[in-house]
Amino acid sequence: MQDYKINSIYLFQGVFSSESLKKIKLLKNAHAFVCEGRPCLEAGHKTSSILLKRGITPTLISDNMAGFLFFKGLVKQVNIACQYADDTGALCDTGALILAVLAKKHKVPIKLLVAERKTRFLGDPKSILSFEGQRIAPKRTHGYVPLVEWVPVKYLK
Amino acid sequence: MFESPLFWPAYIKGNALFVLDETLVPSKLKYIPVKNVKAAVVVIRDMKTRAFGQFLVVLNTFLLELKPKGDLVEHLQKVAYELNNSRPTFPFAEVTGIIVGAAQKASANGADIRIAVTKTVQGFLAGIRARRLQRVQEIADVMQDQDSILTHCNVSGELAMAASVAAQQGKSIKFFATETRPYMQGAKLTVWELQQTKASVTLVADNAVACLMADGLVNKVIIGSDRSAANGDIANKIGSYQIAVLAKEFGLPLIVLTQPSRGVASGADMPIELRDPDELLVYGGEKIFGSKVKGFYPGFDVVPYQLITKAIAINAGL
Repeated sequence: MQDYKINSIYLFQGVFSSESLKKIKLLKNAHAFVCEGRPCLEAGHKTSSILLKRGITPTLISDNMAGFLFFKGLVKQVNIACQYADDTGALCDTGALILAVLAKKHKVPIKLLVAERKTRFLGDPKSILSFEGQRIAPKRTHGYVPLVEWVPVKYLK
Repeated sequence: MFESPLFWPAYIKGNALFVLDETLVPSKLKYIPVKNVKAAVVVIRDMKTRAFGQFLVVLNTFLLELKPKGDLVEHLQKVAYELNNSRPTFPFAEVTGIIVGAAQKASANGADIRIAVTKTVQGFLAGIRARRLQRVQEIADVMQDQDSILTHCNVSGELAMAASVAAQQGKSIKFFATETRPYMQGAKLTVWELQQTKASVTLVADNAVACLMADGLVNKVIIGSDRSAANGDIANKIGSYQIAVLAKEFGLPLIVLTQPSRGVASGADMPIELRDPDELLVYGGEKIFGSKVKGFYPGFDVVPYQLITKAIAINAGL
C-alpha cells in the first residue's frame, strides 16, 4: 500500500474504445488500475492491452476491490466506458454504478469515455458459473448476469 | 435444522486435527490432517479454511502441541506467536493470549498444564458452539417472508442453517450470493451451502450488486465479519465496503454478523493483509492476463459502523 499515494490512482471500468483511451493522460507518479470485469474478464484483457500499448502499465483488481481504494483515498479519477448517455444518465458496462456511487461519496471526479461496443442487456447465466473455462459453482446453480446498467446523472455530476 | 460441514470445519481425531479444505468444496469434501503448529499456519495462510475455521484451527492447535517438552509454557508461547503472525488482519492474539494465560496460571499454581489448557480449549469450543446456534436463531428471526437477501462472505454455516430454520418457519426467502473474487468462496461455498437447504439462490458477479439494488431485486443485505473494533467498525472480505456504501445509498438494511472485541479502537487500527497478486492474476497455474499486467489484492475491507444497520453479535467468550 505504501507504493500508492493519496489521489494517485486512475481507475478504469469497462471495455473502452482504443480511440477514447488516447485522451487519457496520467499525471507523473500516477497509476492506472483496471477492474477485471467478470464474468468474461473482457475489461481486464482489452483495457489493459490498450493501456500497455500506450506505455502505461496497468494494475488489475477484481471488481470487489474498488471500494477499498476509495476508502483509502487513493483514487484520483474514475474512467467509465459508456455506451450511451443523455441528460438523465449513462448506459455503461455493469460495475459502473458501483464506482459512480463510490465516486460521489468520496468526491472523486468521473470521466465518461466511449465504450468499445454495444452489448446485450443480459449475458448468458452460465457464464458466471465458470472461471477461465473451469466450472466453479455447483450443479443446478442459477446465475444472473446483467451486462449493462443505467447510471443516473446525479452520480455523474 | 441443516448443519453444513462448514459450520464446524475442523475436528480432532487421534493425534491430528482434520481441517476441511474449503478450496475444494463443492467438488470434494476432503479434510487435511494437521499435526503441529507449522502445518496449522500453512492451512491458515493458504486459506484452506476461512474465518471461523481458522479460529477452530488456532484453538485446537494448542491441543496438538501439548506434547512432552522442556518448558511447556514457553513452548505454548511460541505456538501462540506463530499463530498470531499467520494472517495480520485476524485478531488471533485475543484467543491465544487466553490459552497461554491458562497455561501460565496452571504452572504458577503447580497444576497440570495439559489438563488446564485442554479444559480451557474445550470449554471455549463448547461455549462457542452453543452461542453460534443461538445466533442462527437470531439470523432466522431477521429473515422475513418474501425477503430477497444479498450475501457476501457470510459466516460459515450460519446463514445456511438460518435459511433452513426460516424455511421451517414457513418463510419463503430468495438469496443472491456474490461470487467473491479472487477465491470465489461465494460461488463455491455460499451457493453450495444454501443449495443444501433447498433455498433459492442465484449467483452474481461482484460487479453486479449495484444493479441488483437499483433494480429492486434485493431488499436486505447480510454479511459476515472477521474482526470488530470497539467503536463498531468491522473488517470483512474484500468487497464489503462497497456493498455497505451501496446498501446505504439504496436504503437497504445492512446486517452484519459480528464478534465484538475491544482489541482495537476503530477500523483504522486494523492491519489489512495484502496478499500475493498472483492469486488474482493466475488461475489453475496459468497467467490469466498479460505478463506485464500487475495486480493488487487487499484481502479485507473495513466497514465503518455508520453503514451498519444491525449487528448480530456473538460473544466469543474471551
